[in-house]
Amino acid sequence: MKRPPIIPLILPFLFLTSISSAAKPSPLPPLTGFTAADMPGDAGGAALLRWNAVGGAAEGATMEVYASDTARPGWVKIAEFPAAERTEKDMDLPFWAWRPAPGRHALAADTSSAFGRPDEAQEIEFKLRLVKGGASVETAPVKVVIGGNWFNVSRFNNLVLMLTIIIVFFWTVSHAKRKGLFIRRIAGLDAIDEAIGRATEMGRPIYYSTGIGPMSLVPTIASTSILGEVARKVAQYDTSLKVPHFDPIVMTVCKEVVKQSYLEMERPDSYRDDINFFVSQDQFSFAASVDAMIHREKPAACFFIGHFMAESLLLAEVGATTGAIQIAGTEQESQLPFFFTSCDYTLIGEELYAAGAYLSKDPMLMSTLKVQDFGKAFVMLAVVTGSVLLAAGAVFGWEPLMRIVGQLFKAY
Amino acid sequence: MIFIKKHIPLFICFFVGVLTLGSYYVPNAGSENYIEMMNKWENIVAGFAFLLGLMSLFYSHFHKITRRAPGWGYSLFVYAGFLLVVVPAIVSNGQPMKGPDMTSLGWIYRFVFTSLSGTMFAVLAFYIVSTAYRAFRIKSPQAFVLFAAAFMVILGRVPLGQMMWDGALGWTGYQVTDVIEWLMSVPVVAGRRGIMIGIAIGGIVTALKIIFGIERQYMGKD
Repeated sequence: MKRPPIIPLILPFLFLTSISSAAKPSPLPPLTGFTAADMPGDAGGAALLRWNAVGGAAEGATMEVYASDTARPGWVKIAEFPAAERTEKDMDLPFWAWRPAPGRHALAADTSSAFGRPDEAQEIEFKLRLVKGGASVETAPVKVVIGGNWFNVSRFNNLVLMLTIIIVFFWTVSHAKRKGLFIRRIAGLDAIDEAIGRATEMGRPIYYSTGIGPMSLVPTIASTSILGEVARKVAQYDTSLKVPHFDPIVMTVCKEVVKQSYLEMERPDSYRDDINFFVSQDQFSFAASVDAMIHREKPAACFFIGHFMAESLLLAEVGATTGAIQIAGTEQESQLPFFFTSCDYTLIGEELYAAGAYLSKDPMLMSTLKVQDFGKAFVMLAVVTGSVLLAAGAVFGWEPLMRIVGQLFKAY
Repeated sequence: MIFIKKHIPLFICFFVGVLTLGSYYVPNAGSENYIEMMNKWENIVAGFAFLLGLMSLFYSHFHKITRRAPGWGYSLFVYAGFLLVVVPAIVSNGQPMKGPDMTSLGWIYRFVFTSLSGTMFAVLAFYIVSTAYRAFRIKSPQAFVLFAAAFMVILGRVPLGQMMWDGALGWTGYQVTDVIEWLMSVPVVAGRRGIMIGIAIGGIVTALKIIFGIERQYMGKD
């Protein structure tokens, strides 16, 4: 029996169906104004996509973003979000780097998770798809070459502030050569002489700890400067100094600093290589060991200056129980209360960084303290001005003013 | 000699400092690779420096033992402790676990090292109490303010304190948690930020002093 010819019957049906579906209007408006550009001020791997708002059609719709590396074609969905979101106003960029247009959407499309982030620029194709219910519309693909940039424009405010600080810094340094500078007394630093004198009289050692910070931390560097000055006085009085260390690199630097101080005071014979010694690179092992040494040797003075964490109280309390005169200083504001209560003198905040200059009396170093004062004056002025402007903006509804002030002082 | 001992280190410090500072503003791959490379080098140097530290540790304790310095017996424990960890580490091939079983290294780490560290950390609790006692002694009007604020925060954190507040001051309409939240987020934050701003400015200026070679104490004086 011969089979009935099916294909000739189906083809007209398929043709009619396709015509009817093409003639039926899509419930979604077309996506217009779609552009793609390299994301400004980024490390590479991202593109800035912009497109026109779709109005009321965005309600309940989803926007899908697809990307394809032209070197390895194939579309990958890199983002999906409600179509009404991601307006140009929502972009987290400052006013000097971004001018949002009304009625436009924008997205910083990161492709690094899909295609990695090669060192060289890469050509990527993007397209958008608006999906609502069963219907969808999409844009034509747009190609763009993306790569890393040479300047992060968003950090322009930071750069201006940094350059201003550097200019003020050099101005004060050059000014220092001509004139002297008044520096208020810092009780904690004035007490160093007293502490070393006490140790000399009692014939007991002095303990100095630079904390648990590595050499790359600024407080550790500041602490080595103070150690240098302490070591000079110790060498002068021929007292015993002990510097237990958490970090071997800090120990190596401190050895040089102490050795130099002894040489300057013409007491190389008093210098011993075991003044600085390594204890442990574990926080609590270090604390336990130093506590035990303090407890056994009962030093006349303890210095805890540098980066300290939970061991601050363990060290300072044991030192206090031995009756040692204690001078502490750290940049960790969470540890300062412990030092306040357990130590006789505490260097607060920037006093730690001023100590090296204060003790050395070097005019160049002392002049840099003025930069700190200028910095504090600037911060105070900025806080007052910013608060007034923000309050005025809130009261009078000046939203652009509030945005500008907020972005001016924001770290990007 | 001064050129090698002074000028070259200063130049390296300046060059690396400016490059690192600049990399904050330059976001491209070269900048990122540079920072990554510096971090790797820091780790490499730290690895070698650790050997230096170990030698220093052994040297100082060896001297104590040979000189029979006071407390020299404790120095023996440094070597004993070292062997106690290193030998099992070699035997266990540096692995704390072998399948579901704990190796000798894992056993020492868990039942000796972790316990001892925990003990030291627990000691903090007692020290905090004794410190708090000293801090809260009312010797001046400022000390009274400190005490009152601390008392409120401590008491408000426990149910008994909340019950006391509700009984005595519940009529005000404020919960003790509201008062604590205000204390912690307004006066405390204001004080902390003041200190933090000072520290940040001091840190920036110190960094500039080092980069531009004004602060040279860290490499010994001239």
